[in-house]
Amino acid sequence: MTEQPTPTVDDLREIAEQVWAAYLDPEGVRPFLVGEPGEPGTAVSASVSLTGGWHGHVVVSCSSGAARHAAAAFLAMEAGEVSDEDMTDVMGELANIVGGNVKSMLPAATAVSLPHVVAGADNRFPTTRRICELSGTWLDEPFSISMWQGRGLAEVPAA
Amino acid sequence: MHAIVIDDSRAMRLILRRIVGQCGFEVLEAGDGRAALDLLGGLDTVPQLALVDWNMPNMDGLEFVAAAREDARLRDMTLVMVTTESEQSQIVRALAAGAHEYVIKPFTAEAMIDKLALLGLVPTGANT
Amino acid sequence: MSLSASDFAFVAGLVRRESAIVLAPGKEYLVEARLLPVARQAGAGSVADYLGTLQRRPDPAAHRSVVDALTTNETSWFRDREPFSALTDVVVPHLVGTRAAARSVRVWSAACSSGQEPYSLAITLQQALPAGWRYQIHATDISTEMIKRASAGEFSQVEVNRGLPVQLLVNHFTRSGTGWKVAPALRENVTFQQLNLTAPLPALASFDVIFLRNVLIYFDVETKRSVLRNICKLLRPDGWLFLGAAETTIGVDEGFERVAVGRTSAYRPRATVPAGTLGKG
Repeated sequence: MTEQPTPTVDDLREIAEQVWAAYLDPEGVRPFLVGEPGEPGTAVSASVSLTGGWHGHVVVSCSSGAARHAAAAFLAMEAGEVSDEDMTDVMGELANIVGGNVKSMLPAATAVSLPHVVAGADNRFPTTRRICELSGTWLDEPFSISMWQGRGLAEVPAA
Repeated sequence: MHAIVIDDSRAMRLILRRIVGQCGFEVLEAGDGRAALDLLGGLDTVPQLALVDWNMPNMDGLEFVAAAREDARLRDMTLVMVTTESEQSQIVRALAAGAHEYVIKPFTAEAMIDKLALLGLVPTGANT
Repeated sequence: MSLSASDFAFVAGLVRRESAIVLAPGKEYLVEARLLPVARQAGAGSVADYLGTLQRRPDPAAHRSVVDALTTNETSWFRDREPFSALTDVVVPHLVGTRAAARSVRVWSAACSSGQEPYSLAITLQQALPAGWRYQIHATDISTEMIKRASAGEFSQVEVNRGLPVQLLVNHFTRSGTGWKVAPALRENVTFQQLNLTAPLPALASFDVIFLRNVLIYFDVETKRSVLRNICKLLRPDGWLFLGAAETTIGVDEGFERVAVGRTSAYRPRATVPAGTLGKG
């Protein structure tokens, strides 16, 4: 088996820059400021699961204020017009895009699940460990992108 | 001119609708390949352009592209994959199945319009 | 803190001339946000201070930085398309006739920015030249930062989406990290060098084709003339010079004549010295 590099926080940072340039901040005036995470108390978490060549999850979490801004930017709406459905859909799509880009760096047989969006921090991954996290603030709201790897990966035989 | 946007994400359909709408297309939407084929089967005029996600339930974008290539009625429809699938081997598969162009997510509106210009679907320089 | 109307007009004019991108009034916040890092790097206290200095003392390198900062992600592959079609349809077939002994073509990308132009040129020549021919693209830019980026040959997903047909992406790039890297077969034909076109030029072997696009617009007429004169010395007498769509040698340097190439124009050194200048040397 060839050694596959595991994505790092730098990879997450580059993917995030692309997502911001394309959708959340196309004008380059409202960057994601990586560094000190804002207040904890995450309100929305969107995740996709990766299975096959690599087992784990990519999670995008933020406050409801950030999710509202994200939906407004993504859908070209005013923040006041954004519905709960808009927020859920956009957070799911962000997780899908980040997860899809992470997948392209992993072994070929890896598949990405449909996105799953929940209120609050996503604690559904008891048998995983967090391998990297990009956290900071966007428009003064907490925002983070993290990767969780399933344990016992090495024992999973190749198909 | 008509376009069909095939993506299971409503948010992505809205973005694509906005971009190609600005280029003068009237836009139809479908949430997966199967639904798109059903919709297209009932239309009198076939859209000039289909923007096709890859990973979707029921029928994925690759299967849709292959089915569209097999269907004489859909022969003149330009097929553009719009997906996060960005391994070289995946792109080659999509082209072999019959996709004409390929846009990797994330993409900017300008990039999408550039691709439509490459395909002759909007005037060159529509973007500048 | 907010930008004055005259500062904004100055920046908007610069950006429109270079990139055809229109910064409408109301985009002051965008200019402010994008130029703040540029101003800081130049040691200015604020964007207004930076732009004030720039307007009192024009500086083409700083003008470029301003435009680059405001046109991030705007750089397309095969920008304007027609010059590249002209290479394939007209220039390369001609060179294949006239350079049959050397079987080699040299092209200069004289303001290569982040690299899309020289690599687009390399792809074009790779496709258009017959088997057994070689080509070299020499790419230069005034910015060492741009030379570093372009030389690395790495591009993000957002960048490779812009104007690059996917078949060419698959043929000439490989996945690298979160983005793409120019394939060695292409990269090995491209050399990079930091170079200021307004300073005396280093010794370079002459070129068959020079791309000098969207550079002259930054200069006053005297500087344009001296840049064109220097460039001309490095262009083979039967070579082609491509300028940006809004640029011309006409009225600046009569040493070139404008010729139609495909659906665009290029400039070629005049075969004879214009009558009016005879006997002056």
